[in-house]
Amino acid sequence: MAKILGIDLGTTNSCMAVMEGGKPKVLPNSEGMNTTPSVVVPDKNIVGVAAKRQQVVNPKNTIYSVKRLMGRRFSDPYVQQTIKHVPYVVKEGKNGMAAVEVEGVDYTSQEISAKILQKLKADAEAFLGEPIKDAVITVPAYFDDSQRSATKEAGQIAGFNVLRIINEPTAASLAYGLDKKKSEQIAVYDLGGGTFDISILEIGEGVFEVKSTNGDTFLGGDDFDVKIINFLVDEFKKETGVDLSSDKQAMQRLKDAAEKAKIELSSTQETEINIPFITADQSGPKHLNVKFTRSKLEQIVDELIQKSIGPCEKALEDAKVKVSDVDEVVLVGGMTRMPKVVEVVRGFFGREPHKGVNPDEVVAVGAAIQGGVLSGEVKDILLLDVTPLTLGIETLGGVSTPLIKRNTTIPTSASQVFSTAADNQTSVEVNVVQGEREMATDNKSLGRFVLDGIVPAPRGVPQIEVSFDIDANGILNVSAKDKATGKEQKIAIQGGTGLSKEEVEKMVRDAEKSADEDRKKRELVEARNQADNICYVAEKSLREAGDKANADLKKSIEDKVKALRDIIPTGSLDDLKSKTQELSLELQKLGQSMYGPSAGPSGNSGPKGGDNGPVEGEVVDEGNK
Amino acid sequence: MENEEEKTKGKDERDQCEELEKKVLDLENKWKRALADYQNLEKRTAEESKSVLDFASEAILYDLLPVLDSLEDATLHIKDEGLNLCLKKFKDFLESYDVEEIKVDGTDFDADTMEAIGSEKGEENKVVKVHKKGYMYKSKVLRPAQVIVGRKE
Repeated sequence: MAKILGIDLGTTNSCMAVMEGGKPKVLPNSEGMNTTPSVVVPDKNIVGVAAKRQQVVNPKNTIYSVKRLMGRRFSDPYVQQTIKHVPYVVKEGKNGMAAVEVEGVDYTSQEISAKILQKLKADAEAFLGEPIKDAVITVPAYFDDSQRSATKEAGQIAGFNVLRIINEPTAASLAYGLDKKKSEQIAVYDLGGGTFDISILEIGEGVFEVKSTNGDTFLGGDDFDVKIINFLVDEFKKETGVDLSSDKQAMQRLKDAAEKAKIELSSTQETEINIPFITADQSGPKHLNVKFTRSKLEQIVDELIQKSIGPCEKALEDAKVKVSDVDEVVLVGGMTRMPKVVEVVRGFFGREPHKGVNPDEVVAVGAAIQGGVLSGEVKDILLLDVTPLTLGIETLGGVSTPLIKRNTTIPTSASQVFSTAADNQTSVEVNVVQGEREMATDNKSLGRFVLDGIVPAPRGVPQIEVSFDIDANGILNVSAKDKATGKEQKIAIQGGTGLSKEEVEKMVRDAEKSADEDRKKRELVEARNQADNICYVAEKSLREAGDKANADLKKSIEDKVKALRDIIPTGSLDDLKSKTQELSLELQKLGQSMYGPSAGPSGNSGPKGGDNGPVEGEVVDEGNK
Repeated sequence: MENEEEKTKGKDERDQCEELEKKVLDLENKWKRALADYQNLEKRTAEESKSVLDFASEAILYDLLPVLDSLEDATLHIKDEGLNLCLKKFKDFLESYDVEEIKVDGTDFDADTMEAIGSEKGEENKVVKVHKKGYMYKSKVLRPAQVIVGRKE
């Protein structure tokens, strides 16, 4: 099935995504980035980051923010306002529409946008290794018919079959699955690189209706950077008396540093802006070294963030929706990563905004989902279940040994080989447990059964294969099979995964809470098992060594075994470990004395009888206790 | 009459058969599709993990570049043998990781590997000054060189 490309054709950056296996995936461009600057040098056919990099030396021929002209007449006041901000030539083209002129050639805004779309198309095809024809393209909710058809034309020029033009806030809502809600009011807050949009949507029966839009067409991340740079210039001036604002090179460094600091302070409370040798005067080189805190940043840009509140109020008023009636708030645009922005939005709307989907990519993701809906892929997707909790069995000392981890997609199966815990043990009990805790008793037992008829053998020798299989209906089949005799026992557990969502969440929470304590318990049990095992090995080695063993060494080992056995039930983890270690060293001596002096090629091997259990070494709970 | 019944019965069975056949085909189709999806994912995952390995160091190397910039700036102001050796050591280290400086002196401006941050009087479209050196990592631009480009007037 041919893929449908979802495209966020942005003012400053564009982004694209497709549906893959029922999930949206953002595609990287040929430079390996998930977003592409919406910048074009039409006469040289340079698009994206390369076009942006040469903008400074080629300002007249470098077209950016062409979206601001899309489908507008030259006489449109907004076009006139845009002209004041851009260095390239905007003129009246065919039918009075706004057009740009580069090296004597006129280009419509559709043609410029088409070049961006062409690059995206080519890069997507290269990444996926298959041709792409169909596309869903997003536009701002306030775009009128003329602007929408201009966008569609741009897609067609780029060689796309444009299946649908959808609103950006709708796409963002789709990305969060809000189309499944019955009837709700949604506010989409979009603070990008150069523009701010707020939209109030109403969802009913899976259909989105735009109730109102508002915004500030010249407010975005770039304004934040400027504020930070000005702050740094002032600080430096205060400290050194030198004004950096006339030093082009220094300003470039500040610009890079400001952007980096802004990003860093979204995840940390404090950063250091450290630019050694930023400039020099008669007294020598000067360094910039400023501690920059999140609270300082928030203070500096507060005015900009507050500027977004007015439009929010107006949008609500126009939609005739009260703040308290807004059910969902969705964040879009890179600037919404700033914790302060989230805080202000949360404060205004009085509810936690949706986060989680990358705000730079959320619109493209939504467009891809819309593409999936159109192609039927989304509806047709077979929803495979997952096991909500880990499934395993109880092993020696009451430890819960997992076979199938939680969140594994079903149907699935897993198997592991276990053994016996005592000599001549003829049966094992398999206790099937569900849950995230380390100890079986803290988890839920789903069922137990006994496999008997195991041929008497030293402990650790029998091989018992335990298999778990969950079918597509969530029924868990557990079987245990003695590999020597082929004897098998099994149990089917119905609805083993049929816990309510709350129960599952509670179990996972409990496991997290008691993780430390559980780990200690498990370590203790493991230390006990190990101690028990080394005692067993020691006794066996002594028996086998018989008279050949040095009497003193034999005595010492016997004493150490007794000492260790005494503390196995009650000893602390440290005691168990140290006593186990002591005994192990003595055993090595025994091994050396037996093989050491006269040893041939096998002289380097460890103590005889060091068979600490075969294969998986784990031991099923004794069945006959 | 009985014949009629037989006929309807036969027809029902044929219908049922057809329906089942259709269902089998449909399921087989879906199963193959799922299998193909999975195999394709495996292939892509293998490719991706390869490229992840190839460029695993990229982020760290990128973050090291400002340290190199500062060291280089320092050597311009402080003439010291020890400092020079430090710088050399650092550069050797980067070289051993396939990080290579982008040659910019006297070359034409190239937007694929350079970022223009200004222009000055000079030979048209030539790099006249380097503000910040650029580096390649294997075949990828790790950081474009920030340069000032010449213009006639």
